[in-house]
Amino acid sequence: MATSTITNRIEKARKGVGVSGQGAPDQGRKKKKGISARAWTLFAFAFPSLFLLVLLNLYPVIYAGIQSVRDGDLIDPGNFVGLKNYTDVLTQPSFWTATRFTIIFTIVGVFGSWLIGLALALLLRTRVPAGGLFKVLLLLPWVVPVVVSATSWNWLVATPQSPLPMLANALGLGNVLFLADPVLAQVTVCVFKVWVSFPFMMMMMASALAAVDVNVYEAAKMDGATNWQSFSHITMPMISRSTYISWILMTIFCVNDFPTIFLLTGGGPVDATTSLVVLSYRTVFQNFQTGPGVAIAFVMTLVLVIVSVVLYRQIRKVNIE
Amino acid sequence: MASQSSGSGSAFTRRGFIGVAGGMAAATLLAACSPSGGSGGGGGGGGGGGTIKFWNMPWGNTEFNKLDEEITKAYKPEDGLGAATYQVIQWANFTQTFSSAVASNTGPAVSSGGGTQAFQFEAQGKIAYADDLLESWKENGLYDDFLPGLLDTMKVEKGYAAVPYNLDMRVLWYNTTLLEKAGISAPPTDWQGYMDACEALKKNNVYGYGTGAGAGAFTGTHALVSWMINNGGGLFDEDQKPNCVTPENIEAMDFVLEMVSKGYVDPASATYTSANVDSQWEARTFGMGYNTGGLANNVGGDVGAELQVMSPLKSPSGKQGALFFPNSIMMYTNTPSQEASEAFLTYYYQNMTPLWTEGTGIGLPPLKSITETEEFQADPTNVKIITEWQPVARTWAAPGGDALFFDVTAVDGTPAMDTFSQSILGGNTDSKTALTALQSAIEGALA
Repeated sequence: MATSTITNRIEKARKGVGVSGQGAPDQGRKKKKGISARAWTLFAFAFPSLFLLVLLNLYPVIYAGIQSVRDGDLIDPGNFVGLKNYTDVLTQPSFWTATRFTIIFTIVGVFGSWLIGLALALLLRTRVPAGGLFKVLLLLPWVVPVVVSATSWNWLVATPQSPLPMLANALGLGNVLFLADPVLAQVTVCVFKVWVSFPFMMMMMASALAAVDVNVYEAAKMDGATNWQSFSHITMPMISRSTYISWILMTIFCVNDFPTIFLLTGGGPVDATTSLVVLSYRTVFQNFQTGPGVAIAFVMTLVLVIVSVVLYRQIRKVNIE
Repeated sequence: MASQSSGSGSAFTRRGFIGVAGGMAAATLLAACSPSGGSGGGGGGGGGGGTIKFWNMPWGNTEFNKLDEEITKAYKPEDGLGAATYQVIQWANFTQTFSSAVASNTGPAVSSGGGTQAFQFEAQGKIAYADDLLESWKENGLYDDFLPGLLDTMKVEKGYAAVPYNLDMRVLWYNTTLLEKAGISAPPTDWQGYMDACEALKKNNVYGYGTGAGAGAFTGTHALVSWMINNGGGLFDEDQKPNCVTPENIEAMDFVLEMVSKGYVDPASATYTSANVDSQWEARTFGMGYNTGGLANNVGGDVGAELQVMSPLKSPSGKQGALFFPNSIMMYTNTPSQEASEAFLTYYYQNMTPLWTEGTGIGLPPLKSITETEEFQADPTNVKIITEWQPVARTWAAPGGDALFFDVTAVDGTPAMDTFSQSILGGNTDSKTALTALQSAIEGALA
């Protein structure tokens, strides 16, 4: 009898029926009622945003989609060519060269900035003299407009009289061509991206670390855990959700990053630092080929969506665990 | 019954809120759908109410657009013709600005713009041909006032796409002090002399061929094409088809590659911006090189005073020449009245002389009468460029012709040209390979 009662209670609970015996509202009855006044109110609140969202985002996306299957330019929409622009783009060596650099740029940008951001967030969690000032100074690369940053970096590395080439020369490394050598230009652009991005990661990680209960560390310490064990078994798992979110965001920032690359190298030398977004820009606005240019952008978007979905699934997995 | 609110105490009811929100949304929708967005400038038609919208670029220093606006606003149209309004369009993203405006019929009736802009829009049927205007200028003397051959550069198959406005020349500069220190008594006059001067400068750690082809620095590309034109080459043949792999071009690029390999070219040049190039001239590490006619002013200071324009070199083929850009003013089909557009342009060309005589920093003038003014003649550099370089200068259309056409947009500041220039200045290629790659890249862009 008792067993039966408990089973019934569990069954009731699964169905959403409370102890008082009142269950969840009758779904069938609700359907008959139609749209409630509350729903209308919520819709009215949401409508302006939805309207602007559709107007500002959906229309351009649809228009761009149409452009990607036509052979037009900036003025003339051109003729329908089906998927020709996509096949042309995917068979061009320049697309795959740009894809390769985009992947390198994104991996270095995401994980480079994350490692530095996490390290600084951990450092600033301890008592550092003038920690507040440090935090403000460390935010500068993120706060300063990228045009200013790019000009500064150009001054830092572009000519033989720039500080870094002069330093390299003084160290006996000879005339180091930070921007003119294709490999070094890639390295320089990636380092620039990490420099611009680490403050964002630092803020994300700092807020995640702030949410970790100090008592957990104390308990682990009492159990004899080393600093590394605390970091790897407590800190990392507990900030993993924020970490995945920051990776998703930074992946999107890196793949879509146009000014960092374009202002520093213009995509050169000899296309060495041309990413997909730079290639798309140059195809549309310098070659006046909107179809292939927009097709590149759509391929990028598709890849970004896939990467985001994979990382979001990882976040859900973390939540469940 | 006094209030519909349910105990909140607020007089602002849900029904009222929805009403206001709905009203605002409707107003926003209506505003978005209105033709002009309330700017007061009218919708399409190149200027509502019959006014002529004139869009001009910042061609010179800060004084340029002020004076230009004064000239524009002083226009007093004849009865029945619209007045002119003035708008400065910044160079940043100007292609997008013009393209979107012209595509949406909210663009200007008359404008200047990029060097190949008229030909781009002409191909789209957006340009009003200047044939009638130029015909009328035969009567008032303006037509014959243009420098020789200049009007022909604007002629396309169906008519004149635009009217020449200012000339952007690529000329060879040298630093008098650095040449003197290197023991060079006079600037070179031919390619061998140039190479010898480079060797002498190198002994003093000075680069003999100062250039840059980095982000936004198109002068490096212009310089390479100038070497080709100097040797009787260029990028397009008589049929206006790309023809890059020619003996003249190969010889010219061999010459540049020899300079690169001998260390006469700064190895970082491939990624120098215009500012980097100017800074190298300022640092006295560049002794000679192609640049715009305004280099000495851009560099300024003591070094600016040391810079001089040399005479055009004689190439191994015995020819002279360099690239130049006849920037233009164009009329659009989207105008309240073609007659009004033409009347305004006639007024403008008859009254634009102060733009050159009052030191606004604009490029060289298209009219002989301006080059003959006392103020213009007072600048020996400008006089030298007009008298020695302009007569031998050629457009992108060289060697096949001088009249510009739509396909030159495939070589004007395009990725194909950037890649070509950076590969040559990087030195890790040979002329034929680089020119063949350029040929296929241009063909690909035009396909």
